[in-house]
Amino acid sequence: MKKNKISAVVLTIIIISVIITTGIEFNSMQEEIPIYPSEGLTEKKQLSDYFEGLKDTPGDTEIYVFEGEEEGGSTLILGGTHPNEPASNLTTIMLVENLKVDKGRVFVITESNKSAFTHNDPQEGSPHGYHIETTSGERYFKYGSRATNPIHQWPDPDVYIHSSGQKLSGSETRNLNRAYPGREDGTLTEKVAFGITSLIKEENIDVTIDLHEASPEYPVINALVTHEKASDIASMAIIELQFQGIQMALEASPKNLHGLSHRELGDFTDTYAMLMETANPSQGRLRGATTEELIVTGKDKIYEKAGEAGFLFVEFDENGHPISERVARHATGIKEMINSFNMFNMGNEIILKGIPSYEEIISNGIGSYLE
Amino acid sequence: MTYIYQLIVILFIAYLVIMLFREKKIQNQINISLVLIPLILRLLMIK
Repeated sequence: MKKNKISAVVLTIIIISVIITTGIEFNSMQEEIPIYPSEGLTEKKQLSDYFEGLKDTPGDTEIYVFEGEEEGGSTLILGGTHPNEPASNLTTIMLVENLKVDKGRVFVITESNKSAFTHNDPQEGSPHGYHIETTSGERYFKYGSRATNPIHQWPDPDVYIHSSGQKLSGSETRNLNRAYPGREDGTLTEKVAFGITSLIKEENIDVTIDLHEASPEYPVINALVTHEKASDIASMAIIELQFQGIQMALEASPKNLHGLSHRELGDFTDTYAMLMETANPSQGRLRGATTEELIVTGKDKIYEKAGEAGFLFVEFDENGHPISERVARHATGIKEMINSFNMFNMGNEIILKGIPSYEEIISNGIGSYLE
Repeated sequence: MTYIYQLIVILFIAYLVIMLFREKKIQNQINISLVLIPLILRLLMIK
């Protein structure tokens, strides 16, 4: 056999080996992560129950419903809109595993953009997931992408034209938080957004809270972004958080920036739409290696230096921003937003139990509140 | 549309595999191999 034929055969064997090993690795992200709901769970539904067009698609996702014995208001908590913002997904998992409702109804979605949990952002070097020590041992959680898997939705247009006519870069076509209120006959991402909008309308959701994280160098951080209809509720919640020593800024949802949950869900439904952001160094541009340790501890030396130099919009020292702190902020924010809603809606309250306090999560670690 | 896309990918892969076996320079063979890996992963709709 000629020399070049031998090298071609050797390279073919290498190609096949690489495809098998990476294929197994990539496909492992399709596996479901187990969640152990609390006794307070009353029903588990699918998003396709509200929009048939999502049935048997990678966009269909679980909805955990907690209903109190007494009738009251209702809230929808969205986790995992952007799976590279892990405190969002982890907060909702913690809620599902601890929540009990005395009055009203709570709907929780842990993987709002389920497809985006099945892959990573290219060239970011992110791990596929991270581990947390819990009461029953070590558990694995996914770290996905900001956007829908391009295997499930392609091709990206050069320009993404939102239903309002707004033009954004083509890759935003797979961003769930640029797709609201969604389109019945749109892309997979738009269909997911349409499903969530339909759920809010059908269940008469009073309060919708979308959980996010942002890079420490991003100005809208440790913030609560609110639709103008919800500004009273959000303002009261901010005051209560400040009383507890939790710094949180109040940001008004821009009226001319379309596709975002806090804008479109407020405009197109009767819900009070709010969005919360915490500081996530694992998605920032200044970070070092993107490791599981960075995701969980939130410690990064470059960010520490950037913090010292005053380049960041959050304080950043050697303690970083651990995931327990970020989940604690989200959990406390949710409680205060609900308390605030209750103040303005006497008789139609939502009464929750089982959510650990900010201090409890910080001192015991988030793992203490996961099965 | 996905099937048309996969057909185009198959044609590219077939052409590159032929090139891999015809190519005389090892550097070019390695280059072809590097291009083939993501193409095959895409054909199988894995990545």
